Amino acid sequence: MDSKLLRREKLLPFLDRLREGFLLVAPVEEDALLFYRPVESVAEIRLNPGRSVVPPKEWFFPQAESLYRYNTESGRLVLEETLAAAPAVLFGIHPCDLRSFAVLDAVFLQEPVDRYYALRRERTVIIGISCSAVCPECFCTAYGISPVEGTGADIHLSEVGAVYMVEVLTRRGKELVARCQEFFEDNVAGVAEAKEARKETLSGQFTVQVTVDGLPARLGHLFDHPYWEELSRRCLGCGICTYVCPTCHCFDITDVCRGFEGKRFRCWDACLFRDYTLHTSGHNPRHALYQRLRNRFFHKLKYNHDRYAIEGCVGCGRCVALCPVNIDIREVIATVRGLGE
Amino acid sequence: MNPLLPKPATIVDIIRETGDVKTFRVVLDDPEEMAAWSHKPGQTAMVSVFGVGEAMFCLASSPTCRDWLEFSIRRAGKVTSALHQMEPEAKIGVRGPYGNHFPYEAMRGKNLLVIGGGIGLAPLRPLVNFILAPENRQHYGNIEVIYGARSYGDLCYKEEVFRVWPQAPGVSVFTTIDAPEEGWSGHVGFVPAYVEELKPSPENQFVVICGPPVMIRFTLKALGELGFEEKQIYTTLEMRMKCGIGKCGRCNVGARFVCRDGPVFSMAELKELPPEY
Repeated sequence: MDSKLLRREKLLPFLDRLREGFLLVAPVEEDALLFYRPVESVAEIRLNPGRSVVPPKEWFFPQAESLYRYNTESGRLVLEETLAAAPAVLFGIHPCDLRSFAVLDAVFLQEPVDRYYALRRERTVIIGISCSAVCPECFCTAYGISPVEGTGADIHLSEVGAVYMVEVLTRRGKELVARCQEFFEDNVAGVAEAKEARKETLSGQFTVQVTVDGLPARLGHLFDHPYWEELSRRCLGCGICTYVCPTCHCFDITDVCRGFEGKRFRCWDACLFRDYTLHTSGHNPRHALYQRLRNRFFHKLKYNHDRYAIEGCVGCGRCVALCPVNIDIREVIATVRGLGE
Repeated sequence: MNPLLPKPATIVDIIRETGDVKTFRVVLDDPEEMAAWSHKPGQTAMVSVFGVGEAMFCLASSPTCRDWLEFSIRRAGKVTSALHQMEPEAKIGVRGPYGNHFPYEAMRGKNLLVIGGGIGLAPLRPLVNFILAPENRQHYGNIEVIYGARSYGDLCYKEEVFRVWPQAPGVSVFTTIDAPEEGWSGHVGFVPAYVEELKPSPENQFVVICGPPVMIRFTLKALGELGFEEKQIYTTLEMRMKCGIGKCGRCNVGARFVCRDGPVFSMAELKELPPEY
């Protein structure tokens, strides 16, 4: 692994240079909320971003996207695939969200490959960034994620004093740095140590210690436990937890058409919604809210692990922060670990 | 290859099975795609009506039929109602085939008991016709079909059920309807009771069953009493689906996706899954 230095004042000029060859997608503030969006000017970028409200998975798996257009005029059928992705740089991704890409890859890149996701993923270079603070809801370390490690990024930045330590992690990252050599300096002694010290400081800031060992197997015995019914009594079934979850991948496919022309698109869907599993016949395999809430927690804490051998939660804490009735996945984990079978 | 993009196809014939079930005979527009199409008994495909939506159906035609695909569809929701309004020559889309299949390799050398209720015969029909194809017939034992519906009018595939299958060597077909009606001289009564009466032997036998949940539940009880084991009995599950390729999430039963890991499950496998189907 290559390690470089980038002076703080050179970060924006570096990103600006990248705009010459790439669409730059970066954290921006809209109505006081943080999102990842393509930027026209680097001045829009929020440096030192906190946790975005909507996770950056949006870039690879947009909330709504067209799959193809069709035309059925005069009894013919013409289908036109709407598959496109510009070369892009996705900047400012925190370690928990970097892990979420690996979780989504397991779903979308498994055969048969989802071409829409795969194309964006192929054409996007990822610049990770270490966390500068720990949010009160964070528990990424429970999943072996370090708030200062860039696993999953092509280049990873860690702010240390007046400089960023730049870790060049992949071939693509190397190419990107080589294109923009003038912005970088060689690493100097003490920076890596300062980053390690940061890791120590951050690890002391996690408010709740969460342990997930053996959880998938444990849950296997608790499917019929009354706890899920109890927990669901305060759930509103609003689905915000799925909307802000960096690993939720469920979607619906719908048509919009006018006359002979139309398009088929997909948009995010949520397992907490009643009609998600509703059969045409009226039968609903998860008709009660407790079944749907249980399915969500089982998916995050067991099914994803069982199916793809990767944990379905990354400990980002977004669902904890945004649940209107304070359902806290950390509490669920702790409760489940303490329940008798 | 984009797995979410349907292949353009044309409805070439529509066969009315019952008051609310029609069989759509479909040909893929690209002759190469049609020649390359290959499915196994029990698999499904996604059918598109452009401007309305997509829905998953079992393939009702035998894999040995190379000229067209068939879907037997009951008018129930948006997509099925739109299909029921279509005429031959209409354009639709098809993608697939999806999912696993009945274990036809393991069934070699065995007898087969086919139990269907109403339109539930649709996913079982390709297996019967696959076995009856001249190139496969010698590898399989006898076939017994027990098929019931509410009334004579609700029985699907009448040509096969009353003529083609009973005339094939080694095949017996037992039909029943729920209540007596004029002109029906056959058996009257529910499928589970008919199974009890016919007392099929569990020896050297596989069972495939599909129909209304209540029929399946009571038939399984009857089969259990006759000495059948859960691992001999296979059924096919229905779930709401959108993608068909294990991405959209909604057809999960536990960690399994019905679109990819199903739709065919043995009763022994189903017992290991949460009862959310």
